Amino acid sequence: MSSNHDHSASGEATKRHKVEGPQKHIVGFVMSLALTIIAFAAVSAGEINATFTYIILVSMAVIQVFIQMAFWMHMKDRGHLFPIIGILAGVFVVFTMVIMALYWVWW
Amino acid sequence: MSAHDHAEGQLPHEPEKATLEARNKILGFWIFLGAETVLFGTLFSAFLALRHNIGDGPTANELFQLPMVFAATMILLTSSLTSVFAVQALHHHNKKSMIGWLIVTIVLGLCFLGLEIYEFKEYVHEGHGFTTSAFSSSFYTLVGFHGAHVAFGVVWIGIVIGQIFKKGLTVVTAPKVYISAIYWHFIDVVWVFIFTVVYLMGKVAG
Repeated sequence: MSSNHDHSASGEATKRHKVEGPQKHIVGFVMSLALTIIAFAAVSAGEINATFTYIILVSMAVIQVFIQMAFWMHMKDRGHLFPIIGILAGVFVVFTMVIMALYWVWW
Repeated sequence: MSAHDHAEGQLPHEPEKATLEARNKILGFWIFLGAETVLFGTLFSAFLALRHNIGDGPTANELFQLPMVFAATMILLTSSLTSVFAVQALHHHNKKSMIGWLIVTIVLGLCFLGLEIYEFKEYVHEGHGFTTSAFSSSFYTLVGFHGAHVAFGVVWIGIVIGQIFKKGLTVVTAPKVYISAIYWHFIDVVWVFIFTVVYLMGKVAG
């Protein structure tokens, strides 16, 4: 982890280590906002066919979740291999269950 | 234990990961979130399987009001941003601003809960009770479970704020702030799928 603990003032710490600014979180927020608005607009417009709307909705949600997990949950930072494995294991089970539920009902 | 050696103002860089105990807590929490993913996934799969079985109750299209869902979404999205600001304040060792952002997060969480309670009350008024249909039961279970997570998060972050006031910002309290922020983001991530799958898809299906 961080090697130099010898700095005395916390103000110095922020200078010596690269502490992230709020910019990229605001970028993440604006992107999430845009994706949310696209999804709501696609449904409010109402004139697009249902299958295409589903595809838009699911892709917007998946992209938004990737953005939020990468930026806000710090998953893109170093040392997050095990968190990624943990969440992927959960997602694998979820996919299996959702496909099972849809298959069970629709076919 | 070296955890108490750091006085305030001499915190290490990224105090939430300074000790092995803290790093283990964060890792353990991620494994818990993997399990939470499965929990919500089962509720989602039940909802997806049962959402067309409306019995004598109203349809999703008749029930849902998109402006209200959009407002709830904005509130929760903004609260996720404010909790990431709290973690940034933590990285800057700025206790005051961190507590400020945490309080904003809690207030937004309470607004979200208030809106959800009002929404559920409206639905029950319109004949969409918990036992009305398979659709209503799976709807209330999924969305209500998410609401319960929000309520738990509000209480949790409230307790963490109290601890920060009492014990200050140390390598022991810092991971608590970080983990509660991760939890809060996770709640927002689940909500992204709820507004997509439950509300928007409900509107499309008619």
